[in-house]
Amino acid sequence: MTRLIVRRVLWTVPVILLVILMTFVLMRQIEGNPFRHSERAIPESIQQNLEEKYGLDDPWYVQYLRYVKGVVTLDLGPSLVLRNRDVNDIVREHFPPSLELGALAMAFALVFGIPLGLLAALRANKWPDYTAMVVANVGFAVPSFLVATLLIYFFAVRWGDVFDVPTSGWESWQSKVLPTIALGLGPMAYFARLTRGSVLETLQQDYIRTARAKGLRRRRVVVVHTLRNSLIPVVTAAGPILGFLITGSFVIEQIFAIPGIGRYYVTAVTARDYSVVMGLTVLLALIVIVANMVVDILYGILDPRTREAR
Amino acid sequence: MSTTPHQRRALLSPLRLRRERRYPELPNGVPGEAGTPVRASSLWRDAWYRYIRNRAAVIAGVAFLALLAYCLVWPLVSPYDPYEVDFSQASESPSLAHPFGTDQFGRDLFTRTALGGRVSIGIGFAATLVILSIGVAYGAIAGFLGGFVDNTLMRILDALYGLPYLPFAIIVLAIFGGGNFWTMVVALSIASWFTTARIVRGQIITLKENDYVRAAHAVGARWLRVLGRHLLPNTLGVLVIAVFLELPGVILGEAFLSFIGLGISPPDASWGSMAQDGYRAYRTSPHIIIVPSVAIAYLILCANFIADGLRDALDPRTRET
Repeated sequence: MTRLIVRRVLWTVPVILLVILMTFVLMRQIEGNPFRHSERAIPESIQQNLEEKYGLDDPWYVQYLRYVKGVVTLDLGPSLVLRNRDVNDIVREHFPPSLELGALAMAFALVFGIPLGLLAALRANKWPDYTAMVVANVGFAVPSFLVATLLIYFFAVRWGDVFDVPTSGWESWQSKVLPTIALGLGPMAYFARLTRGSVLETLQQDYIRTARAKGLRRRRVVVVHTLRNSLIPVVTAAGPILGFLITGSFVIEQIFAIPGIGRYYVTAVTARDYSVVMGLTVLLALIVIVANMVVDILYGILDPRTREAR
Repeated sequence: MSTTPHQRRALLSPLRLRRERRYPELPNGVPGEAGTPVRASSLWRDAWYRYIRNRAAVIAGVAFLALLAYCLVWPLVSPYDPYEVDFSQASESPSLAHPFGTDQFGRDLFTRTALGGRVSIGIGFAATLVILSIGVAYGAIAGFLGGFVDNTLMRILDALYGLPYLPFAIIVLAIFGGGNFWTMVVALSIASWFTTARIVRGQIITLKENDYVRAAHAVGARWLRVLGRHLLPNTLGVLVIAVFLELPGVILGEAFLSFIGLGISPPDASWGSMAQDGYRAYRTSPHIIIVPSVAIAYLILCANFIADGLRDALDPRTRET
């Protein structure tokens, strides 16, 4: 087990280097100059000085190595556009709302998705199953910007007098309800479908028959024997779900004017703030890679059969 | 036997049922005498047969074809110009003249949705093809070579599983300086091929181990025949499924990018850019954003059910209970 963990952690290192390299190479292809905002041309000498200051005149591999060193020491460098601010400041300021939104949406998805899937599986091919699966399929297919817009339309415009929910910002708890639902609906549907499939598969196992034959109460068979074993495959969905949440947050933060990473990302790309875009991309990729690593290790601990396979 | 015909039919396997239909004069459709020719059934024929028995998948398939036909044909015969601005009939609710209403510029949404569908679905299929090409190359190299190469390539994929494609897509769009059909295709494929590569590699590894592949080798089949007769048809099945697995993600990606103003931009119609138009006016006329969004949802639902049906049809071993 220790060997597996060590190997998995060590494998993550070259992948992180690769992702940084990929981002780095891509970023260098972007045309344009972050220092030249107005029509006024910057004198050659000042341009050179600026490039020298930010190390943009070094060969690319030197810049790459310097950047990797920065990532390791948790210093993502200065912003090229905003003076006196570095990427760390921006992350510190914009990351907490995004993290909170993601966590709330994930909690929403788990709390509603897993019971929905379980219900569907236990009443397979009856009306609760059909209802749950219609909800799940539609919830998965409807784009989140429509969900967000409809939520705002009904709860803030149509029935605004009754609910009076703020539709922008990220301060009061009321302002967090609608974005959480809008972002969490897709993952909820995903969890419901996954749980249903997984529970149906588990119900066919011999140990469930044994548990029933022993005369265990239904509740115990469902919760201890079925659900616990069914949730293992659900854990592995964390990677795609995380990607889903990050992708969704770009749209949801825009609609609800939440000062998070997703919204700032678009601003930074438009302003050609290379170092911020670079830093945020690497950060998002790092989160997914580390989450995958944790999930793989967890999976190995939860399900001993997978250890053999590796 | 005292079974009813209905029960008896249920007991029959699909293949037997079909044989019975084709040779009604034979008991159970099985030829009695030796030497009676039995037509070999191909993989695709069987798959087609299994597919059309899946009602949800058939409905989804027909609905999908209907959508394609609507997108391709309607803009040609529509009485309205999808680009002509006419404020005298702006933001009209759905009516007989305009089944989906009009947008805030007075353009007929029924026509623009068809036009936007061309772009969105076109981008979807083009990007899916690129994703499949990269995925097949990567997966095939890993699967065929095996050993150290396979190990390295797959460990990289493990770690990248679920990497969000949107930041990379945004960077690619910034490189090209904006979104149009082809830049969107590149942007949406660049970080979306990991899953396909995984599926292809898994399929090839499984196929290589199959007894019939070994048997083919053992009876002296050349590698080209093994590839053409045993490996390729089976990988193709997975690829056909993968088309419909990837399509929803790409269509949504286009919609997201256009919605936040980085993809296809108005007045060019795509479902994403139409949703962006609609978002600007959702307080007074919510139907403008609902129409393209429902089109997206409709397409994704179809694709999901088609993918399910195809999986059951082409890969019966993994059939869901």
